[in-house]
Amino acid sequence: MMTCSYFRANLQPGNADAAMLEHLRHCDACLDFAMNVDPDLFFRSLGGEELVPPGGIDAFVGDVMSQVRVHDAEVAITPRHAVSAWQRWAIAATAIVGITGATIAYRYEHSVPARQNVAQTLLSVPAAKPRPAITATKSFVETYSSHDATIVEMPNDGSDTKVVMIFDDKLPADL
Amino acid sequence: MAAEVLRMIPTKETVELDDRQLVEQIRQGDDRAFETLVRRKTSKVYGLCYRVIGNSEDAKDISQLVFLKLWENLEKYDATYAFDTWLYRMVTNVAIDFMRSKQSRDNAVNSNLRLVKTSIDPEQTVTVQRKEVESVFNAVSNVLSPKQKTIFVMSEMEDLRSSEIAKVLGCRESTVRNHLFNARKLMQAQLKRRFPEYARLWEESR
Repeated sequence: MMTCSYFRANLQPGNADAAMLEHLRHCDACLDFAMNVDPDLFFRSLGGEELVPPGGIDAFVGDVMSQVRVHDAEVAITPRHAVSAWQRWAIAATAIVGITGATIAYRYEHSVPARQNVAQTLLSVPAAKPRPAITATKSFVETYSSHDATIVEMPNDGSDTKVVMIFDDKLPADL
Repeated sequence: MAAEVLRMIPTKETVELDDRQLVEQIRQGDDRAFETLVRRKTSKVYGLCYRVIGNSEDAKDISQLVFLKLWENLEKYDATYAFDTWLYRMVTNVAIDFMRSKQSRDNAVNSNLRLVKTSIDPEQTVTVQRKEVESVFNAVSNVLSPKQKTIFVMSEMEDLRSSEIAKVLGCRESTVRNHLFNARKLMQAQLKRRFPEYARLWEESR
């Protein structure tokens, strides 16, 4: 340990080495002297001290170890992630690409003017008249007479064709 | 003779493992090695936290948080680097984060408490008391940003070189020197304003 007389004799502004600082930090008698020689030592005098947390080191270490045990217990009961970090990134990237693609496709369908024109052109083409569907393959009945039949004539809308409903138990099955 | 031979054989209690060896043992699942490491580094971690934060209870909480983070991240430690540098980096990150959130809280709540008047006559001769230096430091260092204060504490009180501080903070040495220069300037100005009795020390000697 450096003596006070040695410290005072050798202290010059800006030349405080580790040994001098060590002396300064433990010697209250030299503190005032040092301040007058080199004011930059004002706050440097605070260092070097072994600081102890409130309650002491044993209590502090005990607290830290119990926190570590609590932390480990929490980690043990928390389910581990089934997927690793890069897999999570890959899933996120796929989802983003999917959503972006779907958005682009949706906007393309609803906002591209060219497609609207095409749609309008298609609408302006006269639609082909649908061919009359062949609903009956059997011959039309021109005349029919029977004593047991009930013949109902449907109201006519003015055309030449007459629709008649015939109810007869003796009517041939193929008619 | 036999007793002397026995005394020379290192036992588990007598062997002082260095930090890297302790980390290796912790990685192999030895909880007691972690306890030893915490015990060994408590003063260092708490001291830095206390200097930066300026409050013993907050410093204790932050120190515990640092050790918990250390436990969580020990697998990431690269043994080719000095353990203390890695530990200091963790301490400074946690302490700076805490200071930033505290500063924004304090700015919102206590902005008027910064105006502290000193009753001491500037012409009065001052005898420097260590305890007073500490309270003066806590008062005037409030003008520094969390990073400036951390650098100032590491340089002036922990006696770390600029190159070591740069490694801890992951920045250039010139950045550290800049922060240090600005910190000293700001603190001297603050000292003149709030504690003129101490500021006279500078004026007289320059």
